[in-house]
Amino acid sequence: MKASDVVFKTVRQLSELVKSGQASPVELAEIFLDRLDRIGPKYNAVVTVTRERALEQAKKAEQPIRSGRALSMLHGIPYGGKDLLSTAGIPTSWGATPFRDRVFDYDATVITKLEKAGAVLCAKLAMVELAGGMGYRQPNASFTGPGRSPWDRETWTGGSSSGSGAAVAAGLVPFAIGSETWGSILSPANNCGLAGLRPTYGRVSRHGAMALSWTLDKLGPLCLTADDCGIVLEAIAGQDREDSTTTEQAFRYNESDISEKTFRLAILKGALDDVDEDVRVNTQAAINLLRRFASIDEIEFPDLPYEAVTRTILSAESASAFEEFMDEGGPAGLTAPEDRHPYARSAISAQDYIKALRIRTKIGRIANDLMAPYDAIVAPSRATPATRIDMDFRGVILGSAKDTMGAVGNSAGLPAISVPSGFSQDGLPTGIQFMGRAYDENRVIAVARAYQLRTDWHNQHPTAVMP
Amino acid sequence: MSESEVDPQVTDAMSELVRLRYGDFLNEDQMAEVRTGLEAVAKVSEELRAVKLENGDEPFFVFKPYRGGS
Repeated sequence: MKASDVVFKTVRQLSELVKSGQASPVELAEIFLDRLDRIGPKYNAVVTVTRERALEQAKKAEQPIRSGRALSMLHGIPYGGKDLLSTAGIPTSWGATPFRDRVFDYDATVITKLEKAGAVLCAKLAMVELAGGMGYRQPNASFTGPGRSPWDRETWTGGSSSGSGAAVAAGLVPFAIGSETWGSILSPANNCGLAGLRPTYGRVSRHGAMALSWTLDKLGPLCLTADDCGIVLEAIAGQDREDSTTTEQAFRYNESDISEKTFRLAILKGALDDVDEDVRVNTQAAINLLRRFASIDEIEFPDLPYEAVTRTILSAESASAFEEFMDEGGPAGLTAPEDRHPYARSAISAQDYIKALRIRTKIGRIANDLMAPYDAIVAPSRATPATRIDMDFRGVILGSAKDTMGAVGNSAGLPAISVPSGFSQDGLPTGIQFMGRAYDENRVIAVARAYQLRTDWHNQHPTAVMP
Repeated sequence: MSESEVDPQVTDAMSELVRLRYGDFLNEDQMAEVRTGLEAVAKVSEELRAVKLENGDEPFFVFKPYRGGS
């Protein structure tokens, strides 16, 4: 078996190879471990290659395959986890120098669930320090260095799940787990040309994951396709006694044929105003294609301070989550200069925090009612393709376009998926997102699958990392 | 939303609170950046306060009393 036989194959394709005996879990693990070792450092994608644990899990996965008893679609499939997921006996750094050598003695629920599904943990992946919670404004905000995109090393992977994006885009793992508080899955999906799914808040247990904002944090997959996102979500979703916010509603991925299905979509009024020209052109082309199998209405959210609400909740909760760290002067040990003085958030009043929570209730109801007639709202995933590695990205993004979709989606806990929509004139990926009502992951995945059935962007990979 | 100016006295007061708690970790350049952050906090606060809510508009607080053991 050669690397070219398996690298950039989807989870679904790899699963067929494993189940049919054409690829063994140990062979797969060795191929991807080798790539993580050799290629990972070029993109600052990896914190720890978990070779010993991977080979142990892969060997364990061999026997059931020989007996024709694969545990799931993920049986024997290598993956990487963002380094904010606790792993027993393996360092969990949160991307931050002060926690670089810290080792937990237990696995996060997501890691446990993936092990039960037969998946093979090959790496702890790089991330922006403390998931970007200290207010970073440029990519060099991790002890592993800035996340470099496999499409162009001088551009940013997006963050904070930077290594999760780079590793899948570079073919170092077939899928990865990231986290999103506000933008941290959709941003790397956009910049790295991947499918990234932000599940409904409470869909996936966060037990054992670093807390940045208890009422905003979500864990989700980054994959080559929307279909793979559905497969991975089914494995990691579910109620967990260790995380009281997890929902009782079970998630089963609906894999039914969508080739003839039609959809009802909406787009926010002005969604293409103030976005990068390449993003506008690619999104317009995507909308034209979507109209072949979907109706698209224009809708508008009422005037509310969506970003102020989400920002206040995130800042206030992170100030509490990292209170001890801040009180001890811990931020001084962080990589990004702007992360070393995150103290303004300590001045947010309890009154303002609760006001933000009260407005959030209205946002949830407004979004639910506005979206009720539709399968999803469609929008550009980000206002720009990947920015340069040495650029202040907040100036680029916030200076030109408001992130209403991100603010509404994250404050209301709504699922969204980003898939590639083309390339900029510089050869950088752009993305399109589909956001649905709470617990409607299957709907947004179905729309994205239908779009990917008719496009080829997800089959294109960076030439620099082809096996 | 209106883009009203932040009252500098508000920012001054918040700066003093931050300085009292975290001043040992901050040089003057960093304190100046914190002040910029505080201006943003104050602006966001004004945006939130401009939203009129009814008395019954409550947050999604779901508190589940914990009972462990038997």
